[in-house]
Amino acid sequence: MKVEISKGIEELKFALLSPEEIRRMSSVKVITPDTYDDDGYPIEKGLMDPSMGVIEPGLKCKTCGGKVDQCPGHFGHIELAMPVVHIGFIKEIYSILSSTCSNCGRIKLPEEKLKEYFLRIQDTNNRLSDIEYDDIVSEVESDASEVVICPHCHFENQKVALDKPTTFREEGKKLTPKEIRERFEKIQKDDLPLIGLDPKVARPEWMILTVFPVPPVNVRPTITLETGERSEDDLTHKLVDVIRINQRLRENRDQGSPQLIIEDLWDLLQYHVTTYFDNQTPGTPPARHRSGRSLKTLVQRLKGKEGRFRSNLSGKRVNFSARTVISPEPFLSINQVGVPAKAARELTVTETVTQHNFEKLKELIKNGPGKEEEVYRPGVNYVYRADGSRIKISDKNASEVAEKMELGWQVERQLEDGDIVLFNRQPSLHRMSMMAHEVKVLPYRTFRFNLAVCAPYNADFDGDEMNLHVLQSQEARAEAEILMKVQENFLSPRFGGPIMGAIHDHITALFLLTYRNPLIPLEAGLHIMSYVNVSHTPEPVEIDGKKYFRGRDIFSLILPEGVNLEFRGKLGDKSLDPNGTEGTIRIEDSKLVNGAIDENAIGQSKGALLDYVLRKYGNAEGAKFLDNLTRLAAGAISYTGFSTGIDDEDVPGEAKAQLREVGNESVQKVEKLIENYKAGLIGMEPGKTLEDTLESMVMKVLSQAREKSSEIASHYLGMDNSTVIMARSGARANMMNLAQMAGIIGQQSIRGQRQHRGYTNRTLPHFEKGDIGAYARGFVSSSYKEGLNPTEYFFHATGGREGLVDIAVRTSRSGYMQRRLINALEDLKVSEDGRVLDTENSVIQLEYGEDGTDPSRSFEGESVNVNYLIKEMFGNKYGGKK
Amino acid sequence: MTTLAWKDTLKKVKEIIDKAPIGYCLDYEIPAEKSMKEALITVTGKTFVAKAKISKITPYKNEKNILKKKKDKLKTLVMIEKIEEIQDDIVNYEEVNGESIDKILSFAILTRKEEAKIELREPMEGKLSGEVKSVLRQVEKEGNSLPIKIAEQLANAKKQYNIGEKDFDKLLKVTVEKYKETEVDPFEAVGIVGAQSIGEPGTQMTMRTFHFAGVAEMDVTLGLPRLIEIVDARKTPSTPSMTIYLSEKAKGDEDRAVGLARSIEATTLLDIADIEVNTTEGFVLIMLDKQKMQERGLKREEILPKLKKIRMQKTTITEEENEIKLSLDEPSFKKIYQLYESLKTFQVKGLDGIRRAIVKFDQKAKEWVLYTQGSNLAGVLELKDVDFARTKTNDIIEISQVLGVEAAREAIIEESTSTLHNAGLNTDIRHLMLVADMMTFSGTVEAIGRHGISGKKASVLARAAFEITSKHLLNAGLIGEVDRLNGVAENIIVGQPITLGTGAVKLAYRREE
Repeated sequence: MKVEISKGIEELKFALLSPEEIRRMSSVKVITPDTYDDDGYPIEKGLMDPSMGVIEPGLKCKTCGGKVDQCPGHFGHIELAMPVVHIGFIKEIYSILSSTCSNCGRIKLPEEKLKEYFLRIQDTNNRLSDIEYDDIVSEVESDASEVVICPHCHFENQKVALDKPTTFREEGKKLTPKEIRERFEKIQKDDLPLIGLDPKVARPEWMILTVFPVPPVNVRPTITLETGERSEDDLTHKLVDVIRINQRLRENRDQGSPQLIIEDLWDLLQYHVTTYFDNQTPGTPPARHRSGRSLKTLVQRLKGKEGRFRSNLSGKRVNFSARTVISPEPFLSINQVGVPAKAARELTVTETVTQHNFEKLKELIKNGPGKEEEVYRPGVNYVYRADGSRIKISDKNASEVAEKMELGWQVERQLEDGDIVLFNRQPSLHRMSMMAHEVKVLPYRTFRFNLAVCAPYNADFDGDEMNLHVLQSQEARAEAEILMKVQENFLSPRFGGPIMGAIHDHITALFLLTYRNPLIPLEAGLHIMSYVNVSHTPEPVEIDGKKYFRGRDIFSLILPEGVNLEFRGKLGDKSLDPNGTEGTIRIEDSKLVNGAIDENAIGQSKGALLDYVLRKYGNAEGAKFLDNLTRLAAGAISYTGFSTGIDDEDVPGEAKAQLREVGNESVQKVEKLIENYKAGLIGMEPGKTLEDTLESMVMKVLSQAREKSSEIASHYLGMDNSTVIMARSGARANMMNLAQMAGIIGQQSIRGQRQHRGYTNRTLPHFEKGDIGAYARGFVSSSYKEGLNPTEYFFHATGGREGLVDIAVRTSRSGYMQRRLINALEDLKVSEDGRVLDTENSVIQLEYGEDGTDPSRSFEGESVNVNYLIKEMFGNKYGGKK
Repeated sequence: MTTLAWKDTLKKVKEIIDKAPIGYCLDYEIPAEKSMKEALITVTGKTFVAKAKISKITPYKNEKNILKKKKDKLKTLVMIEKIEEIQDDIVNYEEVNGESIDKILSFAILTRKEEAKIELREPMEGKLSGEVKSVLRQVEKEGNSLPIKIAEQLANAKKQYNIGEKDFDKLLKVTVEKYKETEVDPFEAVGIVGAQSIGEPGTQMTMRTFHFAGVAEMDVTLGLPRLIEIVDARKTPSTPSMTIYLSEKAKGDEDRAVGLARSIEATTLLDIADIEVNTTEGFVLIMLDKQKMQERGLKREEILPKLKKIRMQKTTITEEENEIKLSLDEPSFKKIYQLYESLKTFQVKGLDGIRRAIVKFDQKAKEWVLYTQGSNLAGVLELKDVDFARTKTNDIIEISQVLGVEAAREAIIEESTSTLHNAGLNTDIRHLMLVADMMTFSGTVEAIGRHGISGKKASVLARAAFEITSKHLLNAGLIGEVDRLNGVAENIIVGQPITLGTGAVKLAYRREE
């Protein structure tokens, strides 16, 4: 068998390129500013010289002989006629110029002082601190740049000024890069550390370019358009400019042209070299394409979100992945994901043929590449022989290849049920945004999953798409299954509670199934139970000769053995629950004895029952419970049926009158307040102005109006109302939403204040100037059902828009905050002795979180919940009911 | 005890260290009446590098076997018996006459400053009740440990439910077991989890600022902007504010509370008076507003002496009933306006930075509490009637300056917890502690971001990948930086497994023959 030697990169060292090194690594000296000749062949010594690598398939590299995918590309070089400064080092050049003597090249500080600084540098070097080193360097610079007479050669130096972007002047006289270079050459090696250079890797004169490296062609490939037209890369364009000006400069220099012309050309060369490195240098007009678009040169390639670092190095494109729209599937387990057959045929897992899988793979190969059929049977797309050669499997050669298959071959088999894949939805805000699922291949074209998993992904089905990645190695699969599987991520590390749970109709369904323990006809009951895998049916009750199941008995079927629990449900309100019992959920010996199952029992991140099952029975059992729960809910609601419509908000005439009364009354109250205010009868509240006092009083009155309308609405709308059921059980919406639909929408606010901007002294021309009454400042007394009048509609839209703006601003701000947080904390890890260390092994915490507890294993933040333990261990012996 | 101190070159110091015991000649005269047994030498003028034991100080005499600080103008000979390298800050010393110094220019005679008494914080155990202690002892006996909080809960439960010894032993055992189960795994990426746990709820927060405790005018930044402010380690928060608690004696007394509130509000002259400039005759007229003065609890008599402090040359102050006239002896247009400008912002009373203070009665604790707009912790803590143990500010940087970096850490934790809590979000405190620790572990409060932690990372690649890419790369070339690829970002860039979690361990498998 082939033995793979894995190589790793231990460290990376950065350095400057010296002119010699640029020449040494160069494969060709580029002298022609052209790329291809008329026949489309690269010009010798041109910018596309084949010695710099190949980009066209079929051709071979002149330097290494490799083809497109083998040749890494080779640098070329340009000999510059006159030296130019490197724009990235302008600051350093300036500081070196001002801190060294122009005559002898020493740092303008007495020997004694230099020694002192050296000692300090050596000192800090031992302790490895770049920041301290930087501080010393800048200290040297500020000290030395003030010295006029060089203490070494007693030469009187003149002040150097930087004329941005690239010109240096000494007492008004221009310093050419050539002169700067000459000065830099005089600087002693020993002085370099004090001016911030490592003598082992850099010389100051290397910051002035005399030789210019030309990047390999595969860094700047030519793009051939469909029309056959060729289009050069931005970098190539820039290089053309550099060579062209360089040539003219050389010619003029050699001919002995006037100094003025040479200087102009020199400046132009400097401009092109500058924009080649960075086309966004302040003070330099960016070089532009013919179309007016500014060129993307080196710095632009690296920088920012779309730059090389963030776009190609920190995040990479991958194979074995798929993306499509998602949709719900309550019959899948939470650990599963439905993958469309079409995608499954494209996504493959590479398996090596061993004794153990020989027969299985043989069968798979026989299936061929697969075709559309009722039942999905995985096939094989490619097979690799031991020597690495590839065979594409078709229907024709399938059985032939299957027979020939040997141990050690590799088979690219299509996805099959049970494969482990990673599933992800962006934005990936926390680790539960990417979890491992088992594949279940399904027909149609969407990814599907259990609704309980919506919460961690923050997914809904209004067109959301998600990504899927097929794992390729055994280690990866094992790791994913142990650490990333959905059931292993029940408890959120954010708060140490379950983030998955029943949502929307699950809650409604189980609520209806258990609220007041309804009688369910035998057949319907059996239908419901047929959705779950149960070993027995509960004892039916007989009333008037008909057999019924009790709803709670059906629900109890899915509880694991030994559940004893009592907690408060959402139905604390006696008005809805005349006997006052439904709000207390009591489970004794895995039998739901009392109470209606609602959000507080099974909802996401607050379901007490779910939490209990998870902690007591573990993740696997928890997953099973949730699976059964969602299935049972589907069964239950398909028996009851459940819908809501606008007529849910119909209230009787007397209620309507009451609501209108509430609206009018509040408006009048506001009028009264304003009258009092105008008459000066309102006293100031502490810390407020008179106007503020009035405003807050008005706001109070108006918010009371909405509360009252909510009360009226809930009084007339009872538990026979779908909307109320949803609100009360916690499935969706709340009573306030209902009141807004049936009663009064209420005050529309902007930044927490009543609406007040718009025209002079009024919000809209519909009101009189100076009107600060309820309606003139955005109070809406209509309901959604009635409809809003035009001014109300306008204010409502204004308020709504604030919300939209808020969301837009918030997402970008919080996204950036999270990026910064992650970047600052990403390297922290717990050491084997429980401390928290960073990359340099600095101790951040002596014990993680001061008690060493992993929040995702905690009991809502507590390492151990003593009361729970006492109850579990001794039952009701101690404490009893709480 | 007095100490001799002088500035010298590092070379000389090394020489003395090499040759000690030896005589050393200084170019200063040292008063003979001072008896000094100790000498400190500084090189930078800011920190001492060496401490010497001296036996004798005599006027300079040229002898053999002595070292000289200079070639000539020597005045004193100091016999150095023993010398050792030390690291000590000059700030810890003061001159003999009691004046503090911050730099030694040539030489000085110093005494060590009396240090503030630092009492070790009473170990937690001292505060624990006997029951809790015994629980902890019992756990320790078996070589295990429990957080104090859990031990307290156990002790409480034992007492409350009257749990029998046998059952309690069982309970204890299970508790310890459960506690062990919750331990974090080695190499867990706690940083990333923490950052995610704080960042993820950020999307659910509001951007708005809310009125504070029903008091208009006193906005307090809350929600996402506040959270961002905290991790930014902003120099001053956008809405600095303090909560000032009063001492045992004063907290029930409304008058004292109101008096205190008035006395700390920074009141400028403009707040209580109209100021008029008369350029033709060259004077400034301050017309005091009686009502406003009363509101602020100021008397006319108090203002006058303060005004005299204003640094304007040659002004004559004449006062009438409610008017104060400041006339320049040599009127000039420019000067009169200078005077006017300085009068406008002239602070008559109160503490710098505190714009407003409001008194509220806390119904629960039955005490008067001051809420302020603006913050001045150092000033407030010095006031009588203030309970400095409970008083707090939301300005984290100020806390770190006044109370130290440990207090700043607590403040970061508390401020971020309450911000998240106010938004109705539930985030484990451990994540916030980790962020706070990361921001403070270097000894100063550092921001999360390119100017703080991220800009100081060891890895070039990680820095380049975050922000300001080209600068980091170019600079790395100059100083020949080495990236040792220890962190996450670097390894992803070069395409290697990261050093956290399962990537931190290597697994070797020996095949059975």
